Amino acid sequence: MNYRLLALIPTLLLSSTPGLAAAPPQAAPVSTPARVDAPIILTNATIHVGDGVVLDGGSILIQAGKITRIEAGAITGVAQATTVDLGGKLVTPGLIAADTDLGLVEISGEDTTHDNARKDEGAIKAGYNAASAINADSSLLAIQAIAGVTTAAVAPRGGLISGEVAWIDLLAGDHATLVASPRVAVVANFGRSFASSRAASLAELRKAFEDAAWYRANQRGYERGDARELIAHPADLRALWPVLDKAAPLIVRAHRASDLLALVELKAALGIEITIVGAAEGWKVREQLAAAKITVVIQPTDNLPSSFDTLGARLDNAALLHEAGVTVAIAHFSSHNARNITQEAGVAVANGLPRDAALAAVTLNVARAYGMDHEYGTLAPGKVASLVVWDGLDPFELSTAAEQVYVRGRALDMRSRQTQLRDRYLDLERF
Amino acid sequence: MHGSYGMYRRGFARVALLGALALGFACTKQTATTSPTDDDSTLDPATDQQSGKEAATIVLRGATVMTAAGDRYAPGVVVIVGDAITAVGAVDGADAIEIPEQATIVELGAEQVITPGIIDTHSHMGVYASPGLKAHSDGNEMAGPVTAYVRAEDGFWPQDPQLNHALAGGVTSAQILPGSANLIGGRSFTIKLRPNPRAAEDLRFADAPAGLKIACGENPKRVYGEKGGPVTRMGNVAGYRKAFQEAVEYQRKWASYERKRVAWEAKDKTQSDNKPEGDAAEQPEPPGRDFGLETLAGVLDGEILVHMHCYRADEMLLMLDLADSYGFSIRSFHHAAEAYKIADVLAARGTAASIWADWWGFKLEAYDGVRENAALLTRAGGRAIIHSDSAEGIQRLNQEASKAMHAGRKAGVEITDEQALAWITINPAWALGVDERTGSLEPGKAADIVVWSGDPFSVYTRAERVYIDGALVFDRASERPRSDFDLGLRDDLRGAP
Repeated sequence: MNYRLLALIPTLLLSSTPGLAAAPPQAAPVSTPARVDAPIILTNATIHVGDGVVLDGGSILIQAGKITRIEAGAITGVAQATTVDLGGKLVTPGLIAADTDLGLVEISGEDTTHDNARKDEGAIKAGYNAASAINADSSLLAIQAIAGVTTAAVAPRGGLISGEVAWIDLLAGDHATLVASPRVAVVANFGRSFASSRAASLAELRKAFEDAAWYRANQRGYERGDARELIAHPADLRALWPVLDKAAPLIVRAHRASDLLALVELKAALGIEITIVGAAEGWKVREQLAAAKITVVIQPTDNLPSSFDTLGARLDNAALLHEAGVTVAIAHFSSHNARNITQEAGVAVANGLPRDAALAAVTLNVARAYGMDHEYGTLAPGKVASLVVWDGLDPFELSTAAEQVYVRGRALDMRSRQTQLRDRYLDLERF
Repeated sequence: MHGSYGMYRRGFARVALLGALALGFACTKQTATTSPTDDDSTLDPATDQQSGKEAATIVLRGATVMTAAGDRYAPGVVVIVGDAITAVGAVDGADAIEIPEQATIVELGAEQVITPGIIDTHSHMGVYASPGLKAHSDGNEMAGPVTAYVRAEDGFWPQDPQLNHALAGGVTSAQILPGSANLIGGRSFTIKLRPNPRAAEDLRFADAPAGLKIACGENPKRVYGEKGGPVTRMGNVAGYRKAFQEAVEYQRKWASYERKRVAWEAKDKTQSDNKPEGDAAEQPEPPGRDFGLETLAGVLDGEILVHMHCYRADEMLLMLDLADSYGFSIRSFHHAAEAYKIADVLAARGTAASIWADWWGFKLEAYDGVRENAALLTRAGGRAIIHSDSAEGIQRLNQEASKAMHAGRKAGVEITDEQALAWITINPAWALGVDERTGSLEPGKAADIVVWSGDPFSVYTRAERVYIDGALVFDRASERPRSDFDLGLRDDLRGAP
């Protein structure tokens, strides 16, 4: 298919400013007035900053959605601040869920509730941006958020390259500010996703990036009709430019050791940043992944030979990768229960991952995986004030729950559709 | 190590045969191998039986014992003779157990916990084996909406590598069910997760009742909606009704035949007393045997337990009515995402609910799932069960129970550790009709036991030792059993946790 005619359609809105957590392109709806929250001081907390530092009896100052100060002792003298004494409770950075379809899929079995894939024929859907389709009213958001998930990467599916990844703050119901950044990365599926052949997939990926570079250098010629045939629509090629510029990572879903090595080579050949999601056999090529500085996002409980691509899956994948120096992030690859990343982290710890590494794996390293660690992932001045106050001292333990969650500086109403259903049926006398 | 399991396997039949004897001996005299420090001997408890001696005695001592029968001993003792538990109690004090002489004593740490083996009412291991290939899709006989004539054991692949992972999670028994594509999917069977099976029969939980898988709601109508129906939930219910009506008529036909046969035999006997040649021509013809209808008749007779996949509260109530109208009972609803909405009814009816701790939203009928489901059902007096329906989930049923327990507590519902333990032990044993024989640590029951590294409700705890019928079948210090599939493909996972 020749995309040249289609290329004449203006695509200014798709021009990318990735990795900068820019304000979302949508105009703020008039129904949601801009709000200026009073400063909040969380004090007398056991603060796990997220980089290994622990502050006992520490304090955090939140202003306008950001952390502005974090101190080992008290913070005083801030005008109009509301101070919350946490009585020694544990505070960690908000959990970050990787590779979700939060806000894009309400009910997995009902296609009419899905916006997570552009179902055209093309394999290269890089320009598919689902940010505008993310539904702030999805019931999944509050259900994850009140369990401590404050932030998520929302990534489309399908094809060889699925589209652009949006970064969201889990502010359920807030259509105006839910999307923190509409494009932070581009997501792809390796393995047999193109022409039922992993070798064909690799060739097609290379071609896509070659064409993206060619198109960038030859736009004028292209628009005059003086061009070669391109692998994909220019809008889809244009979306790859930030990846070529290393301004946004290419997120690739892959499991088999041979696929992971192919991606190590691809990274070197194209000079791009790659994050691997899945990586069930990552431990087999951990030295190469470490040397290539590739961040991996894994699900630690994924230990079954569910396919011939995951024969090497094992419970201590996270520990082995970490030990070899790989940056490991942890996910639970089911958006309805993305909240279970704490359990996943606990299982990783039970199988050898150090605790600090496990906390980083569900916070900072997820931010790193998507190139968002300058704004997210630790509790530091200047970063987004998304954090969790826990009711126990170990966030991974099954007895621990989030007591109060702050997303972008706002204290969440700790209710969800599920808590409402529960409360309705707590007393059956009324029925 | 692999050889040891082989030895264990060879010894197994003997253990099973002598199990009944061991039970008889339990209260009188125990003699056995005397090698208290050599754990390997526990891998072959039947060794001495061959030479005519009595069953081996193993004593697990020093850990906290949670019996799932209401007791907790810290530190406690469990005495195993042959394949059965003969005593459970404390190390010291009023509940102290006298340690039999010449027993193999396994000294455990005070931080460790002994519980009954975990039991899962809902597994498709073997019928949806790993890897999940077309060739391994043996769980849904989608030839028509009613296939009561199939049995899960006939599609079960004993080399499924998932089985050994479940064992490493402390699972000793599981019900293997057909899938939920059909209104009536076929018979289930209950297994014990013994290593190194060569056939489904090697795993069969002897004399456990068969189950019947029935599925409500979205799945059958989705699968058959464009294949002749059922198209709607109305069609689903009409389908069950039709099937059970046929079963009633089948029973009637056989009852009528039985009456005629008895009459003929009586008559034949009278005649043959008078006339030696008799009258063979009048012998009644038996009706044709139909395995599907026989299965449904088994349900009507209460011999086969009904396991009904059903998510929504209103649908469960409808199914209870349907069961009433045919005079059978539903042993357990499965998935039962909305059990909490009808906890009082389920409690009053004595129908268990097998549920997940937190799965929800993957289809509309699962949209109202809440994490407090098990706790709310338990508070109402119902029988809650945490099931897996997943070869991943089955490896951590203790953690799933823990999540459900803590969610309940945080909502103000008092759930004890013992109640949560029941969700994955004695309650599923009841649902599978084997609660007289396993599911709790009590004298006379099978020695299906897990030794955990710590609190079974902690995310950090792992099963360290698993005993099935008194045999040590998993020991974290040694190699996990491997299926044929693992050989040459997963060799580098030897020693992996």
